[in-house]
Amino acid sequence: MLTKLQAKVFFLGGTAVFFGIFLVLSFDTHLKVPNQTNAANITPAVAAGKRIWEENNCMGCHTLFGEGAYYAPELTKTVETRGKDWLKIFIKDPAAMFPGQRKMVKYNFTDEQIDNVIAFLDWCGKVDLNGFPAKPPLRDKMIAAAPQMAVSSGPPPLKKPVPAVFTTATCIGCHQIQGQGGAAGALIGAPPLDDVFRRYDRAKLVAWIKDPPSIKKDTKMPKLYGLAVNDAQLNEIVDYLLSLNPETAATPSAAPTAAPAPAVQPK
Amino acid sequence: MKFQSQKIAYWFFASAMLLLVLQIVYGFIMGFARIGMDGLHEWIPFNTARAVHTNLLVVWLLLGFMGSAYFIIPEESDRELMWPKLAWVQLISFLVVGVVAVIGYHLNYWEGRKFLEIPRSLDYLVVVNVLAFIANIGMTIWNGKRYTTTSIVLFFGLFTAALLYLPGMIDFDNQTLDSFYRWWVVHLWVEGVWELIMGALLCYLLIKLTGVDREVVEKWLYVIVGFTFLSGILGTGHHYYYIGAPKYWLMIGGIFSALEPLAFLGMAIYALAMAKKGGRRHPNKTALNWTLGSAIVSFVGAGFLGFAHTLPQVNMYTHGTLVTAMHGHMAFWGAYAMINLAMIAYALPILTGRKLWDNAASAYGFWLSNIGMVGMTGALAVAGITQVNLERRMGLDFLAVQKEIEIHFVGMILAACLFFLGICFYLYNFWRFGLPTDEAASSDVRAAEELPTVS
Ligand code: HEC
Ligand code: HEC
Ligand code: HEM
Ligand code: HEM
Ligand SMILES: [Fe+2]
Repeated sequence: MLTKLQAKVFFLGGTAVFFGIFLVLSFDTHLKVPNQTNAANITPAVAAGKRIWEENNCMGCHTLFGEGAYYAPELTKTVETRGKDWLKIFIKDPAAMFPGQRKMVKYNFTDEQIDNVIAFLDWCGKVDLNGFPAKPPLRDKMIAAAPQMAVSSGPPPLKKPVPAVFTTATCIGCHQIQGQGGAAGALIGAPPLDDVFRRYDRAKLVAWIKDPPSIKKDTKMPKLYGLAVNDAQLNEIVDYLLSLNPETAATPSAAPTAAPAPAVQPK
Repeated sequence: MKFQSQKIAYWFFASAMLLLVLQIVYGFIMGFARIGMDGLHEWIPFNTARAVHTNLLVVWLLLGFMGSAYFIIPEESDRELMWPKLAWVQLISFLVVGVVAVIGYHLNYWEGRKFLEIPRSLDYLVVVNVLAFIANIGMTIWNGKRYTTTSIVLFFGLFTAALLYLPGMIDFDNQTLDSFYRWWVVHLWVEGVWELIMGALLCYLLIKLTGVDREVVEKWLYVIVGFTFLSGILGTGHHYYYIGAPKYWLMIGGIFSALEPLAFLGMAIYALAMAKKGGRRHPNKTALNWTLGSAIVSFVGAGFLGFAHTLPQVNMYTHGTLVTAMHGHMAFWGAYAMINLAMIAYALPILTGRKLWDNAASAYGFWLSNIGMVGMTGALAVAGITQVNLERRMGLDFLAVQKEIEIHFVGMILAACLFFLGICFYLYNFWRFGLPTDEAASSDVRAAEELPTVS
């Protein structure tokens, strides 16, 4: 039968051996981490962003690298999916973009601080996390199994270069337009916008973009009007989306008879 | 109670109970925020509530451990505490640091690293405070009339816990390294040295409550804490899978953390076997219930529910979801909250000299809080598994999924009410014991607590 002394030796010996192995592995990890995390890219802006991240305890709501709290979205890949422009606008006033949703704190960051936070999150997104976060394995199966969405009828929309306003207004982060963009929207059901002219006329488009939640409660499309979109940009967006309609384009609407009525009356 | 200086333990326990209540209040704030009732957001946003909730948890558990040490060490060493006044100073300053930290969290003054939110300037005070504590019990043991395995293991656990606080104070610009060393504190505490403390308290309680021979009980204590370190140290790797550390941690962390439940299983078998061997002869059935309960619930919460998401293939999808919160609640409750409540239930009659061992309130306290905790864990489990499937496996949006699982938090809050009711019964009993008395040290009161030894 085991004696007390043997038990003691088992405890002390085991502890010493395994702690020794742990120290060696930790040392090795310490040497390898800089390479795996692209430590060379930790610029002063990234370091400053990390300090802002800590000083405000963002981890008390969010996870980063899967660590933190479970109240708000995981942020490791947020720069990749949302894009920097969108994040800039969002952080300035989170509730404005998602009215009525779960609340984030509204911080009074300067533009520079926001840039630093985004630089930090951008660096985080590029760290090699051994495959985390995994691509949702059932997603493709679900899409394959779902009955085909109502195929839009009629001639295909026109091909036209996408104006810059779709980038500055962040639409392209969520919506695919002319085959571009759409990374963040894929997860939340943001449809491509090329054939939206079939479903919306000018008035409806304007009303929707101005205030999506007022038309469809709980929609995932944020209210960007007043944040990323002003009246002139709204007009430009709506003009472009309607101009993709091959039917109206075929009739030489270039005839300057009826100049398009401005979507929005300037205030 | 044999020595007057043991009385200080009462005040540690009483402070711990106060903080437990506050912890639960902040838990409710978060629970309600999750079902959309976030009216306090302007003053107590979720991150504040969370930092307060988890830090108060750690602080009250530490107060409980310190109180237990001040209670056990004089008796095991057979002498008065070395510096009883220092123990008072230490208690008060510890509370002050805690209160300042909690107030700071409401003013955006913190470090923003999960579980280690205490800002750096206060970290130093914690270190000084804990040094005073370690010195006090260390010198008591050193100058004591006898050295027991129980007191040595307890001291070793407390000492290494203090030591391991230090790596958490190193600064890095690299988030991965930051996280890497944060786990030296958080993981090596709860799955390493705190288990030593738990093991020592369990061992002490079993010796006292079952009357089994000390040599037998203490021998198995070594075996169990041996298993703890054998698996738990390299088991740290289960936090290194997906934070930017090398890939070999998937293998090492997976294998060794999968062995960790063995230590908890050992603890449960050990407690049940000793109780069977000694029989239930001690009049303080409440303390025995909490002691055995702790050994069993810690196996379920830490061992079984920890194992459920510790393999890298599973953890890839559960990492950082409510599945973790599910495990965190029951593990902390079973292993560390319950062992403290067991110690308190055992010590109170001895500190106060009142023999209120068993009554309806103490039974309600035990059963309601445990049934409530099982309910809370169940609600979090359903919410967590649903979240994993919808968000991580099907790829739906985070907030949309949160809306779907909101209803489970209604369930969690209901279970938490039951849990809190149980805690209220426990506290009612605590209050009925009244304050510690000098007479409690007299021999006839002590006689009722002593059991003849079985070997
Ligand atoms: C009180 C909780 C809370 C705190 C604190 C908090 N956030 Fe958030 N955050 C949220 C919630 C909830 C959302 C989801 C969008 C919404 O409803 O506003 C969010 C969304 C975000 C997003 C957009 C993520 C995406 O991909 O949709 C970013 C980026 C972000 N937060 C950054 C931060 C940073 C940086 C900090 C710290 C300076 C921070 N958050 C602190 C709750 C919080
Ligand atoms: C955060 C992601 C996001 C951004 C940014 C965004 N949208 Fe959307 N949008 C959506 C989602 C999601 C829907 C689907 C709404 C629904 O059905 O609830 C949508 C729907 C639409 C629709 C209706 C589409 C249809 O076929 O029904 C239009 C039009 C639209 N968005 C235009 C825009 C424009 C213009 C911008 C830029 C100013 C923009 N969106 C920016 C997410 C986004
Ligand atoms: C009493 C002992 C234990 C306690 C108090 C405890 C508590 C916790 C807590 C609070 C967390 C969250 C940590 C964070 O994200 O910051 C956690 C994570 C974790 N625990 Fe435990 N635990 C215990 C034992 C165990 C055991 C024995 C195992 C394995 C068999 C285990 C497996 C895990 C895993 C895999 C995670 C990571 C979850 C994730 O990736 O999000 N735990 N634990
Ligand atoms: C009784 C009412 C309680 C309620 C309503 C409650 C609720 C919560 C909530 C909502 C969270 C945050 C989860 C998130 O990030 O979204 C949390 C975290 C936590 N709570 Fe509680 N709690 C309660 C009691 C307790 C008790 C008694 C303990 C310990 C014994 C405990 C230990 C923890 C721990 C360790 C965490 C961190 C978990 C993690 O990070 O994985 N809670 N609690
Ligand atoms: Fe762990």
